[in-house]
Amino acid sequence: MAAAVIEPPSQRKRPAPVPLEVGAPEFAALYQAHSRAIFYLCLRMLNDPTKAEDATHDVFVKAWRHLDQFQGKSSWRTWLYRIAINHCRNLQQGWAERHVFPTADEFVLQDTVPDPASPFRVLEIKELGERIRRTLDNLPPEYRLLLLLVADQELSYEQVGALTEQTADAVRGKLHRARKAFAIEFEKTA
Amino acid sequence: MNPDSPKLQRLQSELETEQQQETTQETAQTATAREFATPEEMLRHDAAQTVVPPEIQTRLADSVQQEPAPNRSPSWWQKLFG
Repeated sequence: MAAAVIEPPSQRKRPAPVPLEVGAPEFAALYQAHSRAIFYLCLRMLNDPTKAEDATHDVFVKAWRHLDQFQGKSSWRTWLYRIAINHCRNLQQGWAERHVFPTADEFVLQDTVPDPASPFRVLEIKELGERIRRTLDNLPPEYRLLLLLVADQELSYEQVGALTEQTADAVRGKLHRARKAFAIEFEKTA
Repeated sequence: MNPDSPKLQRLQSELETEQQQETTQETAQTATAREFATPEEMLRHDAAQTVVPPEIQTRLADSVQQEPAPNRSPSWWQKLFG
């Protein structure tokens, strides 16, 4: 009589992954609609493509687990952003404890502030991503997040305010200072 | 100088080539230069140029497959498409 062979768990073959469009088509549509926005936010918050890739995956896994908790009171985009912001902040926490960032209040706007109304002229568009990375890296985290969220045209100031726990008026006020800070730091990367 | 002389023709040819090169360089510079009115506009452009690694979707499909099916409220996907 042949003895039954039981493979240890580590040697068991996992089933081939079913493409998301087949296994969970509605969720795949959600991913298609919002993955770029979430990946970009993670990329610019974490400043690391590999970490951003992991974070985007984790954000959508969390979303999958908590789909039933989505109440429809906010948009899907806002709901996913909230998960992403919390996730990135948790990842940053250990790192932030070892580094000192200027807060928005401490960030000194120099006397020679570039006019925020003047356009940003970029000669080498291929270097733009790197210049943006360096610029955002030197901004207070509050300004960085504010600019990234306001840049998303799907979000209103009210929604940005809800995500950053302040009023829409406060968003407008801080946005002006965030633009100035960005202009100063962007000039330094030229 | 005789306008048909080989020396003058060569000089004219060199000048034309030089002018063409300058025009080409200016065009290339115009093609890569861009103005953004605000930081947000620049960030939008940057986001649009950013490619989401396709591996994320593959990993996500695998992860979702390992997860228990979510406790679907009857209408979560209706909220998505509704």
